[in-house]
Amino acid sequence: MMDKIKQKIRHQWKDRTGGSRMALIGCIILGIWILLSVAVPLFSPWPFSGQDAGMRNQGPSLLHWFGTDRFGRDLFTRVWYGAGISLTVGMASAVMNSLIGVFYGAVSGYAGRRADMVFMRIADIISAIPSMLYVILLTLVMGAGIGSIILGLCIAGWISMARIVRGEIIKLKETEYAYAARMEGIRPLRILLKHLLPNTAGTIAVNTIFLVPQAIFTEAFLSFLGVGIAAPAASLGTIIQEARSQMILYPYQMICPLIVLCVMLLALNMVGTAVEIRVGGRKGSRAV
Amino acid sequence: MSVLEVNNLSVSYPAESGASEIVKNISIKVESGEIVGLVGESGSGKSTAMLAVMGLAGDGAYVQYDKITVGGKAPVPGKNVAMIFQDSLSCLNPSVKIGRQIRETVRARRRCSRKEAVARSEELLDLVGIRNPSLRMRQYPFELSGGMRQRVVLAIALACEPELIIADEPTTALDALVQAQILLLLRRIVRETKTSLILVSHDMSVTASMCSRLYVMHGGRIEESGTAEEIFYSPVREYTKQLLKDAKGGNFHRKRRTGRADCRELPGEDVLLKMETMTKVFSEGEGIRGFSLEIRRKEILALVGESGSGKTTAARILTGMLKEDEGTLYYHGHAMDRRRRMASLAGRVQMVFQDPYASLNPCLTVRETLTEALAAVQRNREMQDTLPEKIDKMLELTGISQDEADRYPRELSGGQRQRIGIARALIVEPELIVCDEALSSLDATTREQILELIFRLQRKIGFACLFISHDMHIVRRISDRIGVMYGGRIVETGPTEQICSDPWHPYTKQLIEAVPEPDPVRAARIKAVPAKDGTGVCTTGCPLAGRCGYALECCGREVPGRYSFDRREISCFLYSGKHGGRRSSDYRMTSQI
Amino acid sequence: MLRYTWKRILTGIISLFVLVTVTFFLVRIIPGSPFQRGGVSGQVVEAIEQEYGLDEPLLAQYIHYIRNILGGDLGISYQDPAANVADVIARAWPVTASVGITALAVSIIAGTAAGILRSVSRRRPVREFISAAGMMSAGIPSFAAAVLLLLVFSVKLKWLPASGLLTPAHYILPVTALSLYPAAMVSRLVGNTLDAELKKDYVVFARAKGLGEKRIIFTHALKNAYLPVLNYIGPASASLLTGSFVIESIFTIPGLGREFVGSITNRDYTLILGLTVFMGAVVILVNLVTDLLCAWLDPRTRRAYRGEGA
Repeated sequence: MMDKIKQKIRHQWKDRTGGSRMALIGCIILGIWILLSVAVPLFSPWPFSGQDAGMRNQGPSLLHWFGTDRFGRDLFTRVWYGAGISLTVGMASAVMNSLIGVFYGAVSGYAGRRADMVFMRIADIISAIPSMLYVILLTLVMGAGIGSIILGLCIAGWISMARIVRGEIIKLKETEYAYAARMEGIRPLRILLKHLLPNTAGTIAVNTIFLVPQAIFTEAFLSFLGVGIAAPAASLGTIIQEARSQMILYPYQMICPLIVLCVMLLALNMVGTAVEIRVGGRKGSRAV
Repeated sequence: MSVLEVNNLSVSYPAESGASEIVKNISIKVESGEIVGLVGESGSGKSTAMLAVMGLAGDGAYVQYDKITVGGKAPVPGKNVAMIFQDSLSCLNPSVKIGRQIRETVRARRRCSRKEAVARSEELLDLVGIRNPSLRMRQYPFELSGGMRQRVVLAIALACEPELIIADEPTTALDALVQAQILLLLRRIVRETKTSLILVSHDMSVTASMCSRLYVMHGGRIEESGTAEEIFYSPVREYTKQLLKDAKGGNFHRKRRTGRADCRELPGEDVLLKMETMTKVFSEGEGIRGFSLEIRRKEILALVGESGSGKTTAARILTGMLKEDEGTLYYHGHAMDRRRRMASLAGRVQMVFQDPYASLNPCLTVRETLTEALAAVQRNREMQDTLPEKIDKMLELTGISQDEADRYPRELSGGQRQRIGIARALIVEPELIVCDEALSSLDATTREQILELIFRLQRKIGFACLFISHDMHIVRRISDRIGVMYGGRIVETGPTEQICSDPWHPYTKQLIEAVPEPDPVRAARIKAVPAKDGTGVCTTGCPLAGRCGYALECCGREVPGRYSFDRREISCFLYSGKHGGRRSSDYRMTSQI
Repeated sequence: MLRYTWKRILTGIISLFVLVTVTFFLVRIIPGSPFQRGGVSGQVVEAIEQEYGLDEPLLAQYIHYIRNILGGDLGISYQDPAANVADVIARAWPVTASVGITALAVSIIAGTAAGILRSVSRRRPVREFISAAGMMSAGIPSFAAAVLLLLVFSVKLKWLPASGLLTPAHYILPVTALSLYPAAMVSRLVGNTLDAELKKDYVVFARAKGLGEKRIIFTHALKNAYLPVLNYIGPASASLLTGSFVIESIFTIPGLGREFVGSITNRDYTLILGLTVFMGAVVILVNLVTDLLCAWLDPRTRRAYRGEGA
């Protein structure tokens, strides 16, 4: 039984990622990162926001692996706590953006003509306004927090996905099997859901994976500018931002969270690229 | 001394699951000024072998040989050997003007000034029968017709001044008329420039009309070789015999005749669908104009004509995929609303597409595809329970095994997929099936099987069929009636035997004469009207006016009406009362050309 | 072509108008007054608000604003009454644009070179190195790159200046940080398109007709690769031209991005609005130019339009 499941997992893994080394490394790193960001805040002897005036700006040591910041908070705990927040924000908004984008793009592409034109112009306008503005507005209205930043990222974050899905649907709409489906009298909604969207699954998956690092990046960047998550909660962006004023004196306070962030984004990109290559390859073999 | 000598050439592609050998130990010899044919089905390794001869087999290929020489020296692409390919559109860089693509070849071959290269390019274009070369040189590949592009490709090959030209399926993508033109051109070029030619083709008829010697390839080996007469009249190997049988239509021809005798009255006279003065013109000028056609119940009506003549447009309008600009469509005598046509014809008119790879949803298994089709028609009835039964029956009819039914399209071969396409179309029990070039992407053998399947099912179930094709061989064998299209109009319709044996319209005549037969003696007689440069379709009058040898003065000004004689209908002034002279009332119309 | 151009310009203008409207009302939703500050009495605030016309009904304010914009007047900054918004833009934009254009040029040149090398190099390590480098630069956020560059090259090594834009040396760090991502994207696009193009029949045919590899790559394959690149470069150049908020604030470059961040923290309505409208206009304009350029560069569409005109 176990063997069978193992085999199935292996098979699925090969099928989805082409068994590439890149995907494997990416997934391992990501797994470690998720594990640490859950475990460290739970088991750490220091709370992520507990201040201690007695041990400010200490360098990395055996006791404090990443050192402490200017309020005497243990950076190791804090960085992993922040990584968890960043990942949560990234994944949640990626999923939401992906849902909105797929829906909007599919409807726009399938409806075509006027509706499509209006839909796409609306998207253009939404994306022309800097997302900073939305986030600031939302934090002012709803208060600074994870919820408002996720929502803020979702106002304009779905547009790239919508454009991609729309393009795919427009392409697929003209395929012969789509015509065949229409000739059989299958209802439009069913054609869209059963015949067209499943064929974009690969593209959607790839772009959803790429939405995660993008969202994490945007969140970090907004927090870095000081409009993101408010204390006591902290994301990697806020931690980097806090360290900025003492960047020259205590660079490790900035480098540690930066490296954690970069590695996380790289791992996500690696997984995304591997899946992208795989999906592209599958498309190729379909055409032959 | 031979121009080309290939001894023991093998090509293999190393893969994860061991190397796959595509070409196994072949030897070929070509004498000076000779046209040699290399025939075989697709996948027999002929193209790979030729690429290997050129030294262009690619990085992944492992090539082994004892000897490959061209005129005694090693082959150098662009110097002593040149190659032309099947698809002239993809061979030419889409974003570079024709002139530059020839010029750079000229200058790569011989050191000369830009001016000399331009002069030489024009000379070459002239040689391959392109008029107004200086205009063509300023154009992009997409602005030229398929035949014209293939001529340009040939001009580029000639710019290399090679001793040997390898032509890989040079006419496969072309219409019969253009094919004949290109074949005659190739023959002339060989004669005039003393170049040798290897003609790679899957089409026995084409090689029959061109080659003095033949190599038959199968599964990477040379199966048989000899002079054209030997191969065609006294083949030794089973495989060659089979190829020839498929090319001649095998025993299917006879079967069709007898099937016809059993049910003589089958094709009904009552009209199922009628299109009247349909017009749909695209921005590029293509489309259909004043198109009128009747499809009767239970008949197979073939629509023939060159690409761009509007066959597919007509089919798409019929099925509702396209909206016409003008015209009416009657179904069972009722005019159909053009906005809701697709919905109201849903399930009653179905289509079998050309490309079996693109016409099946890759995300659904065969069974799911069929279920979807059936469920859409029967959604309101209490017949949902009988779905599996019906599907099993249809699978059996179309020759798809139960095992294959649970697979995805990508796991099946082209022929199998086309069977599924047919099953999908038939399962909703339509009254009319439109087959749009449904056989043209298949191999000869598979084509025969599918052709037979369509024919058998049609006789058994009795649906009407609009069979669109450019291949006269196939049309002649399957259809009850033929409609010949040119320039967006129907120029002639009539019973198949009459049209094929005694064409009345000048265009039909050209079309039938251009088709080569798999017989060296008869194929040598293929004719082609010389291509005129302004082959553009005449839109003010008869579409053929510009390239018709019988054109009257009025042809360019007025559109000829449709003149009916017995069971034939023809659209040509030669047959009109006004222009054809006075006739007595009991005059029996015969061919005027 | 002309009709298409007009149509695109018209939709551009409509988009810009909607953008102004949406931003105008969005900004007004921000609670609190721009003049509310510690130590200022309510009456004073009201007086100032009256002076700026903030006590009028929202619709009246909106109409007033639109009328001003049409006259080319973007209003006066609330925080700094001496500064006209148009002047602020006129001062900040050249700074942003000079950095942006340099970064654009660097990313196109470096990206194309890397892309070609990745696609045609016969050495596996070279290809893998470029792929890996591309993924690194695409994966690392620009602010992280900027901070790391700053720490290494100006704090630790003290090779390059850390802030301002006085000498060409000042450009090196911000331009590097800015162009990492677009360069990686360009190299990926060029590499992928070249890979695809080099597999096509016309390349095989070009080899068969005796052309050298260099010629095939540069005059044939690359010519078909510029369209996807252009499609990416268009929007990317828009974002480079409107300034990067982070890069400008890290390197203290007095450009649009920094002004924008400042205007938001100061709740400077007119400045936010003016900057958004300006950036929106740039984005729309750049996209318009890209679209037209793509249509023009594709011989197919060009000929179609020319045929229509004749």
